[in-house]
Amino acid sequence: MIKNFIISGSGGQGILSIGTILTNIFMLGNKFVTYCPCYGAEMRGGAVHCEVNMSDDELYTLQNEKADFVIALNQTSFDKFISKVKEGGTIIVNSSMAKIEKTRNDIKYIFAPFTQEAIKLGNIKIANSIALGVLSKILGNLTMENVKKAYEKILKDKKELIQKNIDAYLFGYNYIQEKEQIQCQ
Amino acid sequence: MQVYSIPKSIKKDSKFTFCKGCDHGVAIKIIAEIIDELNLKENTIAISSSGCSVLLYNFLDVDCLEAPHGRACAVATGVKRAHRAKGQDKFVFTYQGDGDFASIGLGESMHSALRGENITAICINNTNYGMTGGQMGPTSTMGQLTTTSPLGRNKEYHGFPIKTAEQIALCEGTQFSARVALYDVKNILKAKKIIKKAFECQLKGGGFSFVEILSSCPTNWKLSPQDSHKKIEEELTKIYPLEIFKDTTND
Amino acid sequence: MDEKVLLKGNIAIAKAALNCGCSCYFGYPITPQTDIGEYLSLEMQKKNLAYVCAESEIGAINMALGAASSGEKVMTSSSSCAVALMQEALSYASSDELPIVLVNVMRAGPGQGYIYPSQGDYNQATIGGGNGDYKTIVLSPSSVQECIDLTYKSFYLAQKYKNPTILLVDGLLGQMAEPAIITKNPYPDIDNSSWILDGAKNRPSRNIHSLEPDQNKLNQHILKLYQKYQQIEKNEPVWEEYLCEDADIILTAFGTMARSIKAVCNHFRKTRIKMGVFRPVTLYPFPYKRLRELSVKARYFIDIEMNMGQMLKDIRLGVLSNAQISFIGKPVGDWLRKEEIISAVNNIIKEQYASI
Repeated sequence: MIKNFIISGSGGQGILSIGTILTNIFMLGNKFVTYCPCYGAEMRGGAVHCEVNMSDDELYTLQNEKADFVIALNQTSFDKFISKVKEGGTIIVNSSMAKIEKTRNDIKYIFAPFTQEAIKLGNIKIANSIALGVLSKILGNLTMENVKKAYEKILKDKKELIQKNIDAYLFGYNYIQEKEQIQCQ
Repeated sequence: MQVYSIPKSIKKDSKFTFCKGCDHGVAIKIIAEIIDELNLKENTIAISSSGCSVLLYNFLDVDCLEAPHGRACAVATGVKRAHRAKGQDKFVFTYQGDGDFASIGLGESMHSALRGENITAICINNTNYGMTGGQMGPTSTMGQLTTTSPLGRNKEYHGFPIKTAEQIALCEGTQFSARVALYDVKNILKAKKIIKKAFECQLKGGGFSFVEILSSCPTNWKLSPQDSHKKIEEELTKIYPLEIFKDTTND
Repeated sequence: MDEKVLLKGNIAIAKAALNCGCSCYFGYPITPQTDIGEYLSLEMQKKNLAYVCAESEIGAINMALGAASSGEKVMTSSSSCAVALMQEALSYASSDELPIVLVNVMRAGPGQGYIYPSQGDYNQATIGGGNGDYKTIVLSPSSVQECIDLTYKSFYLAQKYKNPTILLVDGLLGQMAEPAIITKNPYPDIDNSSWILDGAKNRPSRNIHSLEPDQNKLNQHILKLYQKYQQIEKNEPVWEEYLCEDADIILTAFGTMARSIKAVCNHFRKTRIKMGVFRPVTLYPFPYKRLRELSVKARYFIDIEMNMGQMLKDIRLGVLSNAQISFIGKPVGDWLRKEEIISAVNNIIKEQYASI
């Protein structure tokens, strides 16, 4: 099984952080995985995205035309990557920063106001982890042990943020269970 | 009683192959004497360059590495730092012409001085590109006739020359910068004293030390050795004064 | 030590360099290789090793040249248009027989180009832009694990043959992260006490120079270099083969491109087309001999590169007229996708290899 992911948004939203966390989770689950960050000449505030490819067997294809799952944390990335979702794939959109609008009927949309929920939880910067939690719920097969390990590794220099992010991840994980009826098609 | 002997750091069978009246021979000889006096022969790596100065390794009996044209100070930086990485302090100096140091290699030279690289650079300034047959160099003086300034260097057409020792003295990392000449015995002795001071500066670990040597080029100047040295004394020292421009070794 | 860690290609190279005793690094920033220098700046300063933020790539490679004369393990890294600036010193270092490891994490050219992925420096690395008769060893990794393994090998071969060695890395691989094991350096250190410059103590003075006014000596020097290159060509070619034994069609590629085409090969194997993949790991010395052996059996070769066909001439030199050769390429940008390659290969099969 091969699964491709695109995680996108603007600089400062922690796009590359959750990209590496997701990659680490897969690695800890003994999957073959690659992670490719893409950012333009502008270092902050510009468009950022990364590709994560996961496979049960050796990975040959490092860049893919389309992804099974796309996370878009702002309007620009929603507009840019909606066409990159595979038929039957899923796009997870931050409705705090993008209009709820469905232009395709061959994919699944999940809209959730990640930024607003993050503010409610007390830290705007954990919106990315909420989104990762939502993705992980859909994937279904990530173990919490590996999720914890990945966060501990990536945030080892910012220990105070580890628990906050794991809480945000769990909040995201449980989010669509509660609001599935409203948010999902 | 021995009145004169060849310095130990000059290769036994070497004969100077420079043009008659050229000051390279004198410069290399006094450098060899200083290496002997400071007992540096076994701990020195000399960096030669392109131009007449490249031949250094034919005469000097120390370990010697040739740098690409202009890059001697960068190469010396690598040599110095690599030995330091293995816990050894080697004496490292470059021997370059004015074209090498101050034209093609000005970037590498200036940045080594700015970093305060603990090396010594010796620059032979003969106001033209000697090895290629006397073209206009960065130090050719106003009005000087060369094969590429046949009507004389002029500020509108060719622009100005560089006063290297003065420029290097402006760099924060420079600890010692001076200009000397070799046109008579008095000056040769003075030059030796000053070059020795530059070498000692490196031994104390002070930073970049630099000596520019006003030097004759009778062949390309089309003058006799005597007239060449007279030109240095009477003309060039007026334009390129013999001074110590910076010396913070006692600070 | 055997634990897998998620590593970027660039960081893997930097870590491997430190692991095998690289004590001197000189560099100047240029995307997409800057994180090599950034990583090493702290690690090397902590260990009191030689690290200089050089004033230019010209400064950096010449510092490396100087440092290499000390016998220490020396590295510099850069990218494409800035590696162009280093060609003069590579020619000198080859003539001087100084071991320098140069990492080129490629971007797109010509000129300044941009930071998009490309494999446009195959010619620059294997042929070289410096003057005179010289060769540099060139290794090409295709995964982060190989970034580690081939960094070790680069230092080893550079020391063993006293020759500059280039690690030619795809920009994508430099920036991409994947799990890898930070293995130990498997190669022995080479005794260099007979040639290094460390002060003429209890021995005659040595000098290292490329200038040689005596034409006979210069001839002899170059002939000696070429004897060494012959040894390298005999001993060191390394390649990877995938399903080549019974293949009618062999796809050739170097670096990360070779991974993508394995997926293409698998696709065609499912349709019962006997396809294989051949990847040179050493671009110099190029594995001509093995390619020629394969070309006796295989009828068609399709070379696939992220450039306009730079390795193609070496494929031709290996295959000669034993088989037909086609080329699929794209100079710059997103890596050729599996689907694109499959359709291009299909077109070639339809148009040219109708007999299959």
